[in-house]
Amino acid sequence: MIDSLPALPTVFSIGLQRQFAYRWNYLLRALFSAMPLLVSWVFWGAVFQDKKTVGPYTLGSLLTYYAVLLVVESVSSPADDDFQISREIREGSLNSILLRPLPYGLYRGALFLAGRCAYLVAALIPVALCFVLLSRVVPLELGSLDLGRGLPALLGSALLQFSLTLCLSLTSFWLLDISALIFLVYSLEFLAGGHVFPLDLLPPSLFQISQFLPFAYEYWFPAASLCGTLSHSAWLIGLARQFSWALFFLLLAKTLWQAGLKKYTAAGG
Amino acid sequence: MSSPPQLLRLWFLQVRYAATRELAFRANFFIWVIVELAWFVLQLAFVGVVYQHVDSIAGWSRPQMIVLVATNQLIQQIFTAFFMPGLVKLPELVREGKLDFVLLKPTPPQFLISTSHLEIGPLANALIAAVVVATALHDLHITPSLPSFLLYLLLLLAGLLTHYALLLTLVSLTFWIIQAESVLLGYYSIFQVARLPREAAKGWFRVLFTFALPLLLVANIPANTLLRGWQPGSLVLFLLTSLSATLVASLFFQLGLRRYQSASS
Repeated sequence: MIDSLPALPTVFSIGLQRQFAYRWNYLLRALFSAMPLLVSWVFWGAVFQDKKTVGPYTLGSLLTYYAVLLVVESVSSPADDDFQISREIREGSLNSILLRPLPYGLYRGALFLAGRCAYLVAALIPVALCFVLLSRVVPLELGSLDLGRGLPALLGSALLQFSLTLCLSLTSFWLLDISALIFLVYSLEFLAGGHVFPLDLLPPSLFQISQFLPFAYEYWFPAASLCGTLSHSAWLIGLARQFSWALFFLLLAKTLWQAGLKKYTAAGG
Repeated sequence: MSSPPQLLRLWFLQVRYAATRELAFRANFFIWVIVELAWFVLQLAFVGVVYQHVDSIAGWSRPQMIVLVATNQLIQQIFTAFFMPGLVKLPELVREGKLDFVLLKPTPPQFLISTSHLEIGPLANALIAAVVVATALHDLHITPSLPSFLLYLLLLLAGLLTHYALLLTLVSLTFWIIQAESVLLGYYSIFQVARLPREAAKGWFRVLFTFALPLLLVANIPANTLLRGWQPGSLVLFLLTSLSATLVASLFFQLGLRRYQSASS
């Protein structure tokens, strides 16, 4: 594995070139990603019309959460890595990758990293614009951002999302079409991950349950860590759970890969 | 072959063929019903969580908001069943030059592209959304009159036109941008506006999404017709804006079509 490390920057560079070959696609994607924030602003503005706080949030702190969520999504959410892996397995293009002296997980990891870097660059302008526009109408609480706790949680989120994506995609060894499975997990990630609303708006019993599932550590935990709303002990426990889930899915992906390869057959060049 | 009765007959044939093809993969059908249902449950859960903290949002109570969200789901699922599967294939047709085969046929290409595919699963979810609308109306002790109900159906059609106009515009970008797969994300992102109560929107946001892109009317006007009776002004505005949006989208598609150069040899 160590022998293959020098090849990773090349894979990363190829990944970047692939992403920027379709610049407009990326720019559009980044532009559209700002839309939910705009909708949240209008909707929650109406909710807060007669109230100063909803749960532990003011309008400013809630919109800061949604704005930070945009950054979390840019940095850690896979684009179409799941469908790419599925295609490689289904159409047999995996053959050429298997011949290379490079572990598949590392190869995909380098491409994932390249995709995230490219997307971050493309998303930077619309996200920054959103921050500026929103801060003009609502007092966003950007002063309380906690990068010290937020960055490790962001890294954990990227690792968790990558490993979960890897697990889901590798089911292509057994399933013909994994898109339904992927969209089903997306819906769980959106609801139980704190993408639609911060999880601490849930009733306390449901909030407790959400903390034991992996989804909370994909979006809610890194966003809450960046917003600085977690106590030190809650952050430490969250980080431990986040990296444990990431490790669990990485090991599961390794098991799936080994089992899948035994089943995999491809003909032709 | 382009007279309206002939096009209608062709559409029925395409629906029958697509339905047969869909039902050949029954497991896939049920899986997709569950997936779409999960997204609807997600929206209802959001409403449930927010109304735990407030009694009313922009003058809409919880069951009224459910009528709004479920009406939006009803329109979106019907659109997803009949028109979306064909429209989202346009970027691939253009990129791979397969649009040639569509252009060679003696039928308007916009019609063929829009109706070439069908998904049955979303219709099951449209039915579930209709049941949710009926249940919420029951909770509110509202029994719509026959004219209100018929008007509601007409407004659902106007809502379908608005969905159609937006997605046709977005997929037509593919004539300028080689890989336009992001447009589907754009469609879903922009259509989140349709779930907002119109009264919540203010200023430029309200003007933009009422007159230029009438998304704030798509579910609001039909839901309001059931809940509060019909208001002639809003109704005429919605019908006019949805029709003009469709016209503009068709012109944009035609403009794009002129740029098309086959990719095949």
